[in-house]
Amino acid sequence: MSFVYILIGTVAFAIVAPIVGCLLAGLDRIISARMQGRVGPPLLQPYYDVRKLMEKDDVTVSGVDGVYMTCALVFTAFAGGIFFSGGNLLMSAFIITMASLFFIMAAYSSRSPYAELGAGRETLQVMSYEPMVLLMAVCFYMAAGSFNVADAFLLDKPVITIIWPAFLGFLFILTIKLRKSPFDIAMSHHAHQELVKGTTTEMSGKTLAKVEVMHWCETVLFLGWTGMFFLWMNPVSFVIAVVVALAAWFFEIWVDNNFARVKWQAMLKSAWLVALVAGGFNIIFLMFV
Amino acid sequence: MSLIGFLILFPLAVAAVLLFVRADWPRAIIVGGSAVVIAVASIVLAVQNIGTAYAPIPFASHFVDYIGTAISIAIAAVIIAFSVKYKNRWALILAVVQVIGSLVFEFGFAHLAPVAEGLYIDSLSIVMALIIGIIGSGICVYALGYMRDFQEHEPEDATDRRHVFFAIMFLFLSAMYVIVFSNNMVWMFTGWEITTVCSFLLIGYTRTDEAINNAFRQIIMNLAGGIGFLVALYVCAIAMGTLSFQEFLFKGLMRPDIASIAVCALAFAGLTKAAQMPFHTWLLGAMVAPTPTSALLHSSTMVKAGVFLLIKLAPLFLVCTFPSLMVILVGGLTFMLCSFMAISQTNAKRVLAYSTIANLGLITACAGVGTPEAVWAAILLVIFHAAAKSLLFLCVGTAEHHIGSRDIEDMDLLFERMPRLARFMMLGIMCMFIAPFGMLIAKWATLVSFVDTQQVVLILLLAFGSAATFMFWAKWLGKLSGIAGNPDNVELTVHPSEWISLVLMACIAVVACIALPIMSHYLVEPYLTGVFGQLGQDIAIDNLWISSILAVFVLVVLFGGVNASKKKRVGVYLAGVSVDSDTRTYRNSLSGESVATSRNLYLDAIFGESRIKFAGEIVCAAIIVCAFVASGVFPMAL
Amino acid sequence: MSYATKSPWVIHYDASSCNGCDIEVLAALCPGFDVERFGIINTGNPKHADIFLVTGSVNERNISVVKQIYDQMVEPKVVVACGTCACSGGIFHDCYNVLGGVDQAIPVDVYAPGCAVRPEAIIDGVVQALGILDEKSKALKASKRGA
Repeated sequence: MSFVYILIGTVAFAIVAPIVGCLLAGLDRIISARMQGRVGPPLLQPYYDVRKLMEKDDVTVSGVDGVYMTCALVFTAFAGGIFFSGGNLLMSAFIITMASLFFIMAAYSSRSPYAELGAGRETLQVMSYEPMVLLMAVCFYMAAGSFNVADAFLLDKPVITIIWPAFLGFLFILTIKLRKSPFDIAMSHHAHQELVKGTTTEMSGKTLAKVEVMHWCETVLFLGWTGMFFLWMNPVSFVIAVVVALAAWFFEIWVDNNFARVKWQAMLKSAWLVALVAGGFNIIFLMFV
Repeated sequence: MSLIGFLILFPLAVAAVLLFVRADWPRAIIVGGSAVVIAVASIVLAVQNIGTAYAPIPFASHFVDYIGTAISIAIAAVIIAFSVKYKNRWALILAVVQVIGSLVFEFGFAHLAPVAEGLYIDSLSIVMALIIGIIGSGICVYALGYMRDFQEHEPEDATDRRHVFFAIMFLFLSAMYVIVFSNNMVWMFTGWEITTVCSFLLIGYTRTDEAINNAFRQIIMNLAGGIGFLVALYVCAIAMGTLSFQEFLFKGLMRPDIASIAVCALAFAGLTKAAQMPFHTWLLGAMVAPTPTSALLHSSTMVKAGVFLLIKLAPLFLVCTFPSLMVILVGGLTFMLCSFMAISQTNAKRVLAYSTIANLGLITACAGVGTPEAVWAAILLVIFHAAAKSLLFLCVGTAEHHIGSRDIEDMDLLFERMPRLARFMMLGIMCMFIAPFGMLIAKWATLVSFVDTQQVVLILLLAFGSAATFMFWAKWLGKLSGIAGNPDNVELTVHPSEWISLVLMACIAVVACIALPIMSHYLVEPYLTGVFGQLGQDIAIDNLWISSILAVFVLVVLFGGVNASKKKRVGVYLAGVSVDSDTRTYRNSLSGESVATSRNLYLDAIFGESRIKFAGEIVCAAIIVCAFVASGVFPMAL
Repeated sequence: MSYATKSPWVIHYDASSCNGCDIEVLAALCPGFDVERFGIINTGNPKHADIFLVTGSVNERNISVVKQIYDQMVEPKVVVACGTCACSGGIFHDCYNVLGGVDQAIPVDVYAPGCAVRPEAIIDGVVQALGILDEKSKALKASKRGA
């Protein structure tokens, strides 16, 4: 039965998430512009960008990057579908990693020096945030008694009350996942000239449009993960979760505009340290206290 | 019963025949034919006994006991002869200790505990029989073509010892069957020692200095493990009065205080054979051997014997604290540290070796946890690892012969004309670490069982180790990802026997991934009910099916979707004036030509062997020593 | 109207400019003029760009670079020559190595003169280029449909 839910969820996510994600991306650009003393583009600018990219001519270096990006999109939709249909958090995390892998493969496939550099850095990013994601899922499991997100609605109090260290750790790696400065080392949003835009160097037209759409979907999914910490049986909690997710998102934009990019060494070490401290202590606390 | 006897004796007979066959064609027919026979016999055995929880087979024979003793003496003689020839003191000492120990045991103590039911069959041994019978014999077929190429690459005056090579391969299979079907621990020990000496001979096959050194490293470590096994035999016979493995399990559950030291010694034997830190260097050294050897050692035999023993011991780990802690910590640390070290390797075979050791570490840790969930995960890990790893080794072996390099960095442009092989390699890599494929599902079950048994340390080791796993596989996969789009296929020089085995391994990997829910139900769960009386099903069946569907999707894309598209092709961007986009050449600021090259990240400063290896070995050795002392001194604790 | 006109991404190349025009191009991106209001983004990658802004004159040395960047841009694309030097060679016109304006290397769609070119002129030039981009985009769509 839950299988049917997941399929419905995936289709729904594939329709809704790009819309929400697109609006969020537009808002992101306006907010960032205001923080920099500019007016910024229209709200629908990301939508125009993607439509424009789809109108461009189809060219490719390797011939396969488009296929890999389609896979990445499909897996992102699946990960979102599993999560928002109340399915298994760990499964969702694994499948979104799979989507990142296909994105990395798409970048590698051109075998261009710049794209490979970006792809290598993207792998580093995944390696940096992966432990915390896993530990976050474990903490959720221990707090909620299940990996199923839907079970959060059966709780007397939200999981945040006992796994707030894991939440803080997750906020830290959320910066990496949303590709925000100081951890946007593989593909930056703003500085469009950094290493010729890393992973996407050899992508153009429709393939690049897929990258954008995937990023919108990812944003929605990760904000969903953020909100999940605040759910409990009270229906009001849903509103709280949305508010918190939006607050976290605003916080990430603020961080993005206020911190300079770090080197990968700093990213890897700090992310692993945070995972070890926040995740590790939280698990120990849950097990033995 | 007769089928088990056949599976043990038939490869033996084939080995004896192959020893005298020196021509290519007859050998090809014998190896190919008997591989099919062994595979079919294993499948028939599996089908006949599917769902068997545990079935003892009454069989006792002094004749077999004496043969076992004779084999022990013969093994010792071989090792002693080699260690005298190559002047290796440690191997000599250990071999002498072992042969004296086993002779004293055989004539002094073995009669204390006669075993009525010498053989048995349960679902775990069926799983192992399938792995040995299908994957192991598939590798033998692959070796036909590979060894022909290998011999051609050798200098003119090199003696052709391929007949010995093939004989040892089949002897190896026979010994593995002995291990997985013997309830009599003395027979099991005999099989154990045969595998040790077989891998010694296979590793040293080329007789170069490096090969000899590494072979001796292997034999020393595994003889030490064998002595551990022997100690366990003494304890079992004297203190527990039984040499039947099944009875040992029962009595051990009753009296963990007595069994503790025996479990510790057996676990030690398992750890050495499964190449856990600090003994992992023998498996790395084994890379000097021809690739079929590596494939055989890594996927279906040798190391799998080690984890097989550990999984069999799982119920006792639940009651014996110190051995359990030893196995958990050594396995967990090995998983994480070897995954780290794999990042810093450029040699494809070394990456595979480290990943094998890491995965064995995970299996070991699961066995050490010992709950039904953990054992479920461990068995699935064994299956998926065997299928995916053999595929990968065979791909690397074929690639090595055609591009002349094992270096991952060479696997892009040189590899360009072998898109089909590249896809098989990609399939193998994907099976090893990403979501819809079985390996990851097994890892997931591992994670859940660690959480449920409150193994904080293991959770952390798993989390960081898995992240490292992503890194080293993803960058290798990336190197291959561009090749698939290449239209022309110039793989004509690959031997047909190599293709047959590659396709076979790929099919097994695929079937194992897609049929995961079915396999879990028919092969793994009966074992759990037999041993624990309950199931530890923690991953809902829905999730298993979702992953099989996604796995199918990836496969369709990999073999159907990733084709050369009709889109317009353009060159790469080189930030300036490209001279030749295909070779990444551009005009530099002095009007000369430069080639843009990029290497993957190997992060040697963080994950280099020099930083990790020594510390890991010391810590793991210390854990093992502490566990032995603790099991000996405070057997009653906890 | 095609979407190309709503999200023109530019790439800027300094052929042999004195840096006067380059500063003005950057000024157009800064808060004072904020061309992102029109969806304009300065990319560093010709494969992502729709509009090619060239400053400075073309000489023997950089003509191949200009050509290559143009070739690597994906259709539809337009070229804006920013500043007098880019339009005609400017005061460098008679130098021994200068070939002249950008149109000596690639087809130029819009000429935005000025020494240095004013940000307003650049924006005007880009807006004019959008009209041409729109036409090219429609032509591409039509040819795709026809094919």
